[in-house]
Amino acid sequence: MRWWQIRGRDADLERELRSDLDLEEEEQRESGVPAEEAHYAARRAFGNETLIREQTHEAWGWTPLERILRDLRFAWRLLLKSPIFAMTAIVTLALGIGATTAIFSAMDAVLLRSLPVPNPQQIVYLRVPDGQPYGASNTGDPDSSFSLPVFEALRRDHHAFSDLMAFAPLSTDNIDVRFGNDEPEQASGEMVSGNFFSGLGVSVVRGRALTLDDENQHTAVAVLSYTFWTRRFSRDPAVLGRPLYVKGIPFTIIGITAKGFPGVEPGDVTDFWIPLQRRTDLSPWGDSDDSLYGSPNWWCLRLIARLVPGMTSQRAVAELTPTFRAAAFADLRAPATERQKLNLVLAPAKGLEGIGDYNPEPIRILMVLVALVLVIACSNVAMLIVARNASRQHDFSLRMALGASRRSLLWQLFSESALLVAAGAGLGWIFALFATRALATWAHIETGLAPDRTVLLFTTAISIFATLMFSLAPLRIVASTPVTGNLRTASGSSSQGGRAGSAVLIAQMALCFTLLTAAGLLVRTLLNYESTSLGMRMKGLLVFGITPQQPTTTAERLAFYRNLLDRMRNLAGVESATMMQERLGSGWSENDEPTVDGVTHSFEQVPLRINNVGPGYLHTLGIPILAGRDIDDSDTSSSPRVVVVNETFVRKLLPNTNPLGHRLGAFGNRNEPFTIVGVARDSKYRSVDEAPRAMAYFPYAQTGDVPSSMQVELRTRGDPLAMLPSIEQAVHAMDANLPLEKPMTQTAVFADSYSDQRLFARLSLFFGLLAAVLVAIGLYGALSWRISRRTTEIGVRMALGAHRRQILAMVLRQSLHLTALGIAIGLPLALVASHLMGSMLYRLAPTDKLTLCAAFLGVLAVGLLAGYIPAWRAARVDPMQALRSE
Amino acid sequence: MTKQIQQRSNLLLGTLDMLILRTLLYGPAHGHHIGKHIQRTTNDFLQMQHGSLYPALHRLERKGWIASKWETAPDRNREFKYYRLTEKGRKQLVAEESQWKQMTEAVARVMWPTAEES
Repeated sequence: MRWWQIRGRDADLERELRSDLDLEEEEQRESGVPAEEAHYAARRAFGNETLIREQTHEAWGWTPLERILRDLRFAWRLLLKSPIFAMTAIVTLALGIGATTAIFSAMDAVLLRSLPVPNPQQIVYLRVPDGQPYGASNTGDPDSSFSLPVFEALRRDHHAFSDLMAFAPLSTDNIDVRFGNDEPEQASGEMVSGNFFSGLGVSVVRGRALTLDDENQHTAVAVLSYTFWTRRFSRDPAVLGRPLYVKGIPFTIIGITAKGFPGVEPGDVTDFWIPLQRRTDLSPWGDSDDSLYGSPNWWCLRLIARLVPGMTSQRAVAELTPTFRAAAFADLRAPATERQKLNLVLAPAKGLEGIGDYNPEPIRILMVLVALVLVIACSNVAMLIVARNASRQHDFSLRMALGASRRSLLWQLFSESALLVAAGAGLGWIFALFATRALATWAHIETGLAPDRTVLLFTTAISIFATLMFSLAPLRIVASTPVTGNLRTASGSSSQGGRAGSAVLIAQMALCFTLLTAAGLLVRTLLNYESTSLGMRMKGLLVFGITPQQPTTTAERLAFYRNLLDRMRNLAGVESATMMQERLGSGWSENDEPTVDGVTHSFEQVPLRINNVGPGYLHTLGIPILAGRDIDDSDTSSSPRVVVVNETFVRKLLPNTNPLGHRLGAFGNRNEPFTIVGVARDSKYRSVDEAPRAMAYFPYAQTGDVPSSMQVELRTRGDPLAMLPSIEQAVHAMDANLPLEKPMTQTAVFADSYSDQRLFARLSLFFGLLAAVLVAIGLYGALSWRISRRTTEIGVRMALGAHRRQILAMVLRQSLHLTALGIAIGLPLALVASHLMGSMLYRLAPTDKLTLCAAFLGVLAVGLLAGYIPAWRAARVDPMQALRSE
Repeated sequence: MTKQIQQRSNLLLGTLDMLILRTLLYGPAHGHHIGKHIQRTTNDFLQMQHGSLYPALHRLERKGWIASKWETAPDRNREFKYYRLTEKGRKQLVAEESQWKQMTEAVARVMWPTAEES
């Protein structure tokens, strides 16, 4: 028999007993017992029917399960009877569990999740934490970049690695591609070593993967990602063998990777991969006139390796370091002390930590904040349950008097909490699904944050923890329920749990204060970002990137840019136009060591930021000129070399003198210096939060290397984005294959540079408000309950002459007393939290007075609001009625 | 009095299964019938307790030693749940019987040793 047949079996047993009982009765009658007496005689002979039924049930062998089901059914009916209690508890839990699950999903993806490849624990990223060796150039990601000779040397020495793979983006951002004769578009592409797929263990669903032959011969083939194949080609198998033009160079599509492989750029997805190329027009990062193979001292490759089974990272580093140092300094004349300084580190390929300067601190702090919210939510529900069970004490006493064991009562309470938590967790999971989707979008994590099995385990674990906590909360009440005491008076008026309840309320207040402080600090940080002066006029500024494909020589490129700028200036609605190599606010920058009047300052002393710009740069961006002039149209490749510097440059390198006319050398070419012709006010370059640095603006036409792509900046009248169609038209008139790369308002570019901070501020504000609401609900509930138990007392007080205002004050005082204690405990807690958050704050001290005041007022408001309604109700107690009810 | 019955039924507990199986050897019977039969055969010495009879019947059915079916009684125009012995139950009866025999003989040897000596 199976347990779901129990219902049928039950009916069967009932029928069997009935028929046998009837037979007994008939037989009694037949033996001469009067009909009426026979009925009872039969029952006497039969014995305790309920007991028979129970014992037979046990013979079926499903009693424990039956008991659980019965308890759950009973719990369900009870919850249905008090829907408001049930809804409050479930929604509270769902918010707490949902928020925690969502943030944990993010933490899981950012810190814990491994690459979706076989044996991911063997995969490591190679890093040089101290940056490139002295004299080598890098890509802007100094700690994760290696040179080709280093890659080749490490690959030959393969005791530690079963495979060493190299990869490099084809562009700092997306790259221009065209599929067949379709419209030009942008996709993210990488050039990789031939063993990239085989070494990682990534298979293909269609076609073939890249091989070492592809690398050695630099074949023009491409492998598409499954996601790109799905998104762009709707999984059309016919794309295999067709051409994909990358920057106009034809590649043949030869394979599609297995589903779910996003590439190895943490947090980003890669659309296609090509073998390492020797051509100059397809160099790594798309930003050099040299090919990968022509620049041995350019550290531009990223490396990822699979360790030999049983190999530890430490041993691998020890074995590889001599080879690494030898290869790193092969072409550099560096002192031996420099050699000892260069260290290799292997970082596990886990989460987003593998590459770059991803800071895991904020997500950990958010996790702590959301855990506090969960604690508040759980303690709220626990208080609700305790309050409810206290009012059920009469019921418990009655059931125990009728023979229920304490254990069965506890089981019953456990079932109720399990049911509540299960419902809350289910709803919370749904919340989390939506929340993670929103989070991934806000945080620009393209690989997604969808909860996986680890997260499910985590949610289950916290749910079980919550269930146990809630079942233990009423334990004391059940354990101490006297069988007789409570039956005598209909309304049990014991005040137990009052002190424990106050402790919980105070703790909640303290946590709420901490959360509000954290939220306040992050919101103030965001406001500081938004209000920071960027040093330029933002209104009407529009920027887009352009990568000319046809011009190949320097002269052709110069002509192309000049032509483009003229066309832009002539557009209706454009006030002025300029261009620059690095887009402002994008996080990218060019840097060098300044040589002023023949004296070279080391980068450590005065790091010089550089941007190669077009004519009318300061004018178009609205950066004030303090002395001299702007770069203008007369500064061409053949005219005298000039440069404009900023005020920090002057303060640090040319103080107490007129800077105009002094000479600045850069670009490794110190013999042909540029003459300083203008000084501009400081303005922001990479991001909003950078400190002012010495800055030099060179005319792009005079720097030798004419950039392969430029950012065009337009000052428009009216809505900048409305200009896009006419701009596109003008660009297509020059080359129909050219897309506008990431056209945005300049304001949006800078706003994106602190999108993380915006996300943190929003999330923490949400957590803080959620905590405040939960605490208010909890306090309100607890005070109302206490008032309802003190109705008689209040009645007596009023009968003895207490004024309504005194009653009101009495209840409010209780609420404020709890609030004050909560703040007193919360203040040191909040200070600890704010110091931990120090790295997340911008232009703000962790002990920001305004924030602490705001948090104080917030908690005070919670205490007043939650206390006022019960207080008002208490003041309206009718003394006559209150006294009569006793 | 109550105490005596308690002791008797305790004695019965281990052997009730065997008695039921033995009773069913005569042919299918319903619960009431089985109880009455055991009671009558032992001259009311073994007062059948329904409280143990029905759980025992259901337990035996679960073990597959007996099978049940609703049938109309020949003498009464009503359906009863009839139990009958299965092949497995028949084997079990033989096993339990020999075990019981061994045990009573062993107990007898201890209790009345003179009988054997004489």
